[in-house]
Amino acid sequence: MDSKSMNIAVLPGSDTIFRKSFPNGSTLLAYPNQTSPAVFFQGYLPVGSLSDPAGKNGLSSLHAAMLSTGTQQHEFRHLHTLIESCGASISISSGYLYTGFSGQCLKEDLQLILGLLFEMLSQPSFPPAHFERLKQQLATIFKIQAQDTEEMAAQAFDRLYYRGHPYAIPEIGYTQTIASINLEDLQTFHSQYLGPNGMAIAFSGGMDCEETADLFEQVFSNWNTPFQQKQANLPAWQPHRQAMREHVVIPEKSQSDLIIGTSAPAGMRKEYQVCSLGNSILGQFGMMGRIGESVRERSGLAYYAASSLEAGIGPACWKVFAGVNPSNLEKAIGKIKDELKRFISEPVAQAELLDAKQQALGHLPISLESNAGIARLLISLQRYNLSLDHLRELPDILEAVSADDILTCAQKHWNLDRLVITSAGRSL
Amino acid sequence: MRKLNNSDQQPLFISLSNGMRIALKQIQTAPIISAWTWYNVGSRNEVPGKTGLSHWVEHMQFKGTKNFSGKEMEDAIARTGGYSNALTSPDWTAYFQTLPSAVLETALIFEADRMVNSLYDPQEVETERTVILSEREGNENDPQFLLGEAIQQAAFCQHPYRNEVLGSTEDLLSITRDDLYRHYRNYYQSGNALLCLAGSFDLDEALALIRKHFEPIENTEPRRSIPTPENEIASARQIELQGPEEADYIEIAWRSPKASDPDFFAYTLIESILSGPSTLNMFGSGGIGNRSSRLYRELVESQLAASVYGSLNASIDPGIYTLNITCRGDHPPEEVIERIDQVIDQFLNKPASLEERTIALKQARANFAYSSDNITNQAFWLGYAQSFADYSWFTDYVKRLEQVSAKDILRVARLYLNPAHRVTGVYRHREATDG
Repeated sequence: MDSKSMNIAVLPGSDTIFRKSFPNGSTLLAYPNQTSPAVFFQGYLPVGSLSDPAGKNGLSSLHAAMLSTGTQQHEFRHLHTLIESCGASISISSGYLYTGFSGQCLKEDLQLILGLLFEMLSQPSFPPAHFERLKQQLATIFKIQAQDTEEMAAQAFDRLYYRGHPYAIPEIGYTQTIASINLEDLQTFHSQYLGPNGMAIAFSGGMDCEETADLFEQVFSNWNTPFQQKQANLPAWQPHRQAMREHVVIPEKSQSDLIIGTSAPAGMRKEYQVCSLGNSILGQFGMMGRIGESVRERSGLAYYAASSLEAGIGPACWKVFAGVNPSNLEKAIGKIKDELKRFISEPVAQAELLDAKQQALGHLPISLESNAGIARLLISLQRYNLSLDHLRELPDILEAVSADDILTCAQKHWNLDRLVITSAGRSL
Repeated sequence: MRKLNNSDQQPLFISLSNGMRIALKQIQTAPIISAWTWYNVGSRNEVPGKTGLSHWVEHMQFKGTKNFSGKEMEDAIARTGGYSNALTSPDWTAYFQTLPSAVLETALIFEADRMVNSLYDPQEVETERTVILSEREGNENDPQFLLGEAIQQAAFCQHPYRNEVLGSTEDLLSITRDDLYRHYRNYYQSGNALLCLAGSFDLDEALALIRKHFEPIENTEPRRSIPTPENEIASARQIELQGPEEADYIEIAWRSPKASDPDFFAYTLIESILSGPSTLNMFGSGGIGNRSSRLYRELVESQLAASVYGSLNASIDPGIYTLNITCRGDHPPEEVIERIDQVIDQFLNKPASLEERTIALKQARANFAYSSDNITNQAFWLGYAQSFADYSWFTDYVKRLEQVSAKDILRVARLYLNPAHRVTGVYRHREATDG
């Protein structure tokens, strides 16, 4: 499939996506699918762990979890009985920059579920018993994470790669910072940052767009927060200037996890799309691109070996990762470095580039497979400030990328003398 | 585009002259299609000493045929923008591709080819041996995998459901290329296969393509190892494991009926009330929570445990219903098990309330609606339901649950949730012993 043969009219665009902004600063997007008996939604509020006070890392994350423990109208048990008794779900969690939420319900229950979502976001009761329970659960999660090779390799990577930047700290904080958080911290955080200004919500499924917008306005226009603070700007990040290596010892593990990473372009603009095609060739296409071919298919060193390109706001990273037998760790690192050397030394082959473009273009209609996926897509358009016609514009952007563009990006980002390498598993 | 005569939601079922079964379901919401090829073989058909054969064969099916290398097949699917994968379960092995409708034939060509022409190159077999051992090692990092495997072994005396689908490390080290190839040639027969298509397609064109690629494939009836079902866990069994973890875990297993048993529907409601409903949407958004379930309230809300989840799978033979609990550091596993016993005891002594049954039914109706949210999942159910019953098992799912009475729930709970016939496993944390 090429950009000319593709019927871009089937993709969601400005003529089929419903978008409405409200006086309180919130925005709603919707994409209808009248054959569905259900409605899926996804959204965010513009506050996350970036706003955690010093020494209280994990506050935003704990706050998000506490939003599900009861409201001023409905205590925990009643709230969840209401949600689950209609077969619905509402999840709330926090990242670095946003408090995100998502859910699903039958369309007949949308009014009830939107009302409960409003209560959870705007009128939480922060019950002390649940606060203690959640802190205990977090203590258990920290213990489990400490034994998880994938998680520990990832945390070590973030710690080294984002050193000095908020992204170096896990969103859920640390045992000692969670212990220092009290209920008053939660209440202060909530009254400072939670509000409709900057909120976005996207719906996809069997709902009527106009009716949903009216319903949303009716429910959320009651949320007035004149003192809602804007989250601070993301601080600048200084890329590291030397290679870094850390191995986290977790005894008696059968498999070690490995991450090798470097910088990635910020945002979702042209350079990101070039790197995205490059990443497909490096560690995604087919059985996970060149990396999978070398580490898994030819050498049998790993069950999984691939690369990923982060998309986001602020600094981002481009990673190669693999799960390998502890005795094969250094061998896998060597194989991956060989592939990286090739990636920055010569332009990708025209056939590889064509494959990657065809895959990216062909994948666009696949993104319409589920309503939950469409809601995710809509919220990404809003979050990254992309045009509603972004999907329809992508074919031409991708078509214009050359092998030299990818080589330029690869050389810009993959400096083999400055790789950050982390692993977790048995001692080396 | 020619459609089925009936509504979009009613599939067409036909058989080819070689016995291969076909199921077609048109869904016109997006220009994509999901194609699933199911083989009636899984770890249930394996014998001691050869565990893991079905799963390893699944891996080898991506390694190339007389006509295409593995890379050619993978790349051709990737080029369409679609995705493909395969799953091996105790009861079946399935291969699927979800891709733009216009390139359906690509998927059909590869599936028909690897039904008969896979090579099983000895070098590829050896490379894949280390990949599968690596897959197993990755799982062994997880204490809940180790506990689950021990529970399976204790819950069945002879039946192959006692074996992990991945196979034991010992067997994975000794299985030969010829073992794999024999297993493949025996079971990968057109008469032992079911092809399911769901999505946007023209009926005549799709049928013509299916006939073109699959009808010439001859069929030989597989020699099949059919296990004797084990209808109950013989006695109460205890499992104790230890490992270098920082948390304790509990898993408890009771026997569950085979999915085609009418009691399975009552069991589904028992699961929903006790530990929350299982999702029917395997490839999409998350399921319904379990915070209003009895066990969540008694264990997590009351601060005895960090989490509790239940799992009930539809299977050909009687299987197991399991509870998985992650303990908190401040309450020993024994205290948690004691509370679970109290909850089960109450359940066995008093019928579930009308409110609980009404909630469980509404949850089932919602889960059923969510299961239609993506095309891959709809194609999955088209085949999965036929692996243990027929497709009406799925389409009548909500109706069958509505027919379950409070008395049925109590009778089935008393029959299966018997403390004298269960396996209780505890994984206790200990200090690490090496560096």
